[in-house]
Amino acid sequence: MSLYAFLGTLEIGFIYGLVAMGVFITFRVLDFPDLTVDGSFTLGAATTATLIVLDINPFLSTLCGTLAASSAGLVTAWLNLRFNILHLLASILTMTALYTINLRVMGKPNMSLIMEPTMLTPFEGLGIPAMYLKVVFVAVFAIVAGLLVAWFLYTQYGLAMRAVGSNKRMAQANGIVVDEKVYVGLALSNGLVGLAGALFAQTNGFADSTMGIGTIVVGLAAVIIGESLFGTRSILIVVMGCIIGSILYRIAVSMALNADFLGFQASDLNLLTAVLVTLSLIFPKLRSEWKAKKAKRKEI
Amino acid sequence: MIRCENLHVTFNHGLATEKLALRGIDITIPSGDFVTVIGSNGAGKSTLLNTIAGDIETTRGHIFFEDRDVTNLPATARTKDIARVFQDPLAGTCGDLSVEENMALAYGRGKRGRLTFALNSKLRKLFKEQLSRLNLGIEDRLNVQMGLLSGGQRQSVSLLMAALQPSSILLLDEHTAALDPKTAALVMDITSQIIEEKKLTVMMVTHSMRQALDYGTRTLMLHEGKVVFDLTGEERAKYEVKDLLNLFALSRNDGEELDDDKLLLDT
Repeated sequence: MSLYAFLGTLEIGFIYGLVAMGVFITFRVLDFPDLTVDGSFTLGAATTATLIVLDINPFLSTLCGTLAASSAGLVTAWLNLRFNILHLLASILTMTALYTINLRVMGKPNMSLIMEPTMLTPFEGLGIPAMYLKVVFVAVFAIVAGLLVAWFLYTQYGLAMRAVGSNKRMAQANGIVVDEKVYVGLALSNGLVGLAGALFAQTNGFADSTMGIGTIVVGLAAVIIGESLFGTRSILIVVMGCIIGSILYRIAVSMALNADFLGFQASDLNLLTAVLVTLSLIFPKLRSEWKAKKAKRKEI
Repeated sequence: MIRCENLHVTFNHGLATEKLALRGIDITIPSGDFVTVIGSNGAGKSTLLNTIAGDIETTRGHIFFEDRDVTNLPATARTKDIARVFQDPLAGTCGDLSVEENMALAYGRGKRGRLTFALNSKLRKLFKEQLSRLNLGIEDRLNVQMGLLSGGQRQSVSLLMAALQPSSILLLDEHTAALDPKTAALVMDITSQIIEEKKLTVMMVTHSMRQALDYGTRTLMLHEGKVVFDLTGEERAKYEVKDLLNLFALSRNDGEELDDDKLLLDT
């Protein structure tokens, strides 16, 4: 892999590290499988790109993109909590609606940012080579966001949110308002994903209506890789594991795609992703089965 | 003090499956009283507790804590006054969180969650102190996941958690029913200690006639959503398990057979 390709892989890895943290909050902390992210990733990108093209400050545009994605999370939470629609289904409904909304936001299926100012523009004069600048920029975002998420989950409020995901009845008996935690959690999760979309649009120079497809699977893959490599001993480890897992996932995919003897094409990405995630889901189960079998044989 | 006035609870109101779970409960439990509640399955014991806790909405009637009408207060708001321990040891604690995190949650009961660290060294010391009272060695396992403790250990920790924040009312819903006799006795011991120490107003639902008479200062028997017997003072002191069983039979003068083998077993 060339240095240039490697830096590109790192850059995408850090950006999807934010997605992984969002997925971690819904899937693991709140136990609320939320597929909204496929739409909110694009919504974050589309909103930010559209505002930048309208000559709005890129930082303000990114904030708006993030908030727009957060509100998509709130819609999913509302459908689930207020009307008892199954969480998975509620999130699929929001995701489907977002596809149209994203097209409407941009007014066309694809929007270029090549000649537009981005959040990176102010840093371009600092003397860091352009190829490194992007990586450093997204790395700072991912790591700062990771520290903030970890800190949040260690606070009284964050602990209450974790209790809601673990045992609703216990949470309620301890005075925790369950619904509020779900709303905040989904807004936070989708906000992180929307921020990732906004960063993606600015570093890659475009927003596209189909860019969000498979976001959830990639995010989940990163979470699972991080968990299986670094364990779940503490929240900080798991959250940082999301970022590292995301980078490792990208490296694995790009190596698989680049290995000529495997004969993969770029269009095989989604199948590869699905196979990778499936393997990482199967592996822990198989491992415990093997261990149990081994222990049994020893006893006899 | 807990006061229930003409408390009615109906499930599935207006449907074919309508069930009158509570039909006019009028009780006053003065502060510091320890009331045991007995009754056959479906008598409304758990419904009464859950209604007082706010999990179930009242259909008619009022609930007061001291002089405050809490009938329309949601369950989470009532946790300022109420601590609870459930029958299922898994229900009262978070299995995915560590022992200290569970205790930190209980420590924050009835307060708004703030954006400050949930745990600190001061709290850990307090939790350790409290846990060492159990003599179960849990004080050295603050970091262990709650799910790895046994049912009895979890139930004991739940009790400590219930007492971490000052509250006036403790609701126990058959909290020893899922435990083996030895552990149940241990948990009951801790229960008595904590109640004594914190001067709590307690309602304890139990299936064991022995427990109902041995603990507390007053025994209520529910049947079909009504209080059928209310034993206190000297009269209660004279009661034996078999007298209670007779009361049970009496309360069912509608020809129902006494089929509660479980009640007999638990004596």
